[in-house]
Amino acid sequence: MSETRTNPASDEKLMLAFVQGFPEALNELYRRYQQPIHGFFRRRIADSSRAEELTQETFLALLGAANRYEPLALFRTYLYAIALKILRAYRRKAIFRAAFLGRSETISDLGRQDATETGLWIRRAIGQLEPTDREILLLREFEQLSYAEIADLLHLPINTVRSRLFRARIALRELLKPSPSPAANQVVTAAGSASGNPQIIAPKGQRA
Amino acid sequence: MIAETHFATPEEIMALLDGEIPFERAEAIREHLDECPECRELAEVFRNGSAAISNWTVPVVLPHAEFEKRLAGVAHQTPARGPFPAGGQWLAFVVRRRWVMTAAVAVVLLAIAVTQSRRPAAPINMPVDMARTDSASAGDGLEFSKTRTKSSVTKRMAASQLAENPLQSADGELAPLDSNGLVSPEERLSQTDDQQTPMIARTVTLSIVVKDFGFSRTALDAILARHHGYAASLNASTQQNAARSLQASLRIPAGELNAAVAELKSLGQVENESQNGEEVTQQHADLVARLKNSRETEQRLQAILLQRTGKISDVLAVEQEIARVRGEIERMEAEQKSLEHRVDFAAIELSLAEEYKAQIGSPSPSISTRVHNALVAGYRSAIEGVVSLILFFAEYGPSGLIWLVVLAPLAWFLHRRWARATSVVS
Repeated sequence: MSETRTNPASDEKLMLAFVQGFPEALNELYRRYQQPIHGFFRRRIADSSRAEELTQETFLALLGAANRYEPLALFRTYLYAIALKILRAYRRKAIFRAAFLGRSETISDLGRQDATETGLWIRRAIGQLEPTDREILLLREFEQLSYAEIADLLHLPINTVRSRLFRARIALRELLKPSPSPAANQVVTAAGSASGNPQIIAPKGQRA
Repeated sequence: MIAETHFATPEEIMALLDGEIPFERAEAIREHLDECPECRELAEVFRNGSAAISNWTVPVVLPHAEFEKRLAGVAHQTPARGPFPAGGQWLAFVVRRRWVMTAAVAVVLLAIAVTQSRRPAAPINMPVDMARTDSASAGDGLEFSKTRTKSSVTKRMAASQLAENPLQSADGELAPLDSNGLVSPEERLSQTDDQQTPMIARTVTLSIVVKDFGFSRTALDAILARHHGYAASLNASTQQNAARSLQASLRIPAGELNAAVAELKSLGQVENESQNGEEVTQQHADLVARLKNSRETEQRLQAILLQRTGKISDVLAVEQEIARVRGEIERMEAEQKSLEHRVDFAAIELSLAEEYKAQIGSPSPSISTRVHNALVAGYRSAIEGVVSLILFFAEYGPSGLIWLVVLAPLAWFLHRRWARATSVVS
């Protein structure tokens, strides 16, 4: 992924440096991963300010857990594991709030703040995937995690990750196929014009 | 579709595009892609899908300067982690590392287990002195135990002599008298306490599994004869096609208890062993003092009767009193003997069981009998089950119904709220 630095060794060195008493190293890690982690939350939560809060919470959690850090895996995986835990905690609270306090976040809210119609179109299609498949797809496509890293994060066998990713991609292709209704055609056209590649989905959908 | 007829499965083509295929296999699949238009088209589908997904962009958010400052502030306050924690942080260091905690707990438990297995724990009601004696006798063996028992018997004889001659202590000194001319129990105790060793009635419980039941039975008799003991009770069960067993209550002279127990243990595998010691010194001293006083009372009443000068009713009253005191004396003498016997002869509650080996030729009930028995048992079980069910509903049904009426609307409401929440929250 373009947002993530592709020099994991230096990330781990930075983290170890911070653990051993160089606070500047954490700031450097924050600058490197602030945007990827924000994107991670932003793609999963409707409220952008809440996504920002959770991003900050992730780095504070990283700081709190620094003394326990062992370079057993890539720093990136470690950081996304923290983010995933924070996201799950947030979702649990959201469900509780929705059930008992009557406050809820709807799927339709997720697309409201997106600038492009393409984002909305893709987001709606991804939103219809089975939750685990969706999570795997997002971790692969946007966080650019390897199959092994995803398996590690989600506590799944690596072959399961591969087959579920395949399933998610095939399902997504079906979901992105243009529907016969005029409204849907309008969306496809808009999506194609926004992405700059209007023929991407339609011909492949016909093949399937 | 493609999976059965092509060199690579669709999943492999996807993994190839994701860079998740080993080099050699990847090269082979690439060659296949060059030749196979269908697979090439599938690869194109995956590429296009990824390209479509990448259109979902997130607005760039610049690092939050204020948070960065806050992070830097907290980071500066966070102490650096060395290879080992600084003084005072060891507890946190250990608690954080769960494996250290687990190992420490395991070591402690192991140590306790080993200690307990090497030294049998003193029973709760065993006096400290007894526990010490046991641990000492583990090393000294029979000698220590014999010495102690002899000593205790000697002291008890001295106490009995004191009862016979109340005005003289064991070493010949005169004891002080109370207002009635009797030696009080407290004084008697103070005279004997510093000379007596504790009187302890010992009880041992043993469960042993033996291989040869017949041999063990014979050996048991030999052990009893060798140690001058006897069996207070003995029940042997020798059913056919079942392990034979024996329950016995043995009495062994206290001095030979350890040796006898050791020999009994050698009969087979010890499954359970417990030892108990009850200190009866105080009880015995009280009994001796009360006995002595009663005897003196009896002597004085006898003297009064010999010098009778009063009315006949007074004489009868004295005779009645003498009879009552005599009854008390006999009861206390019996109690004293029983107590001394318990101290002199330790009790061993022995349970011997045979390590049973089923016989090939052992008769077993026929299949028809077994089926019949099973059917009868099944019928009874079914009837009992139905009756139990009816009884259960009769007992708890009404109150359960009330709770159902009370809680069902609440549960339904919560379920609806939960279902609604889970459907709208991603």
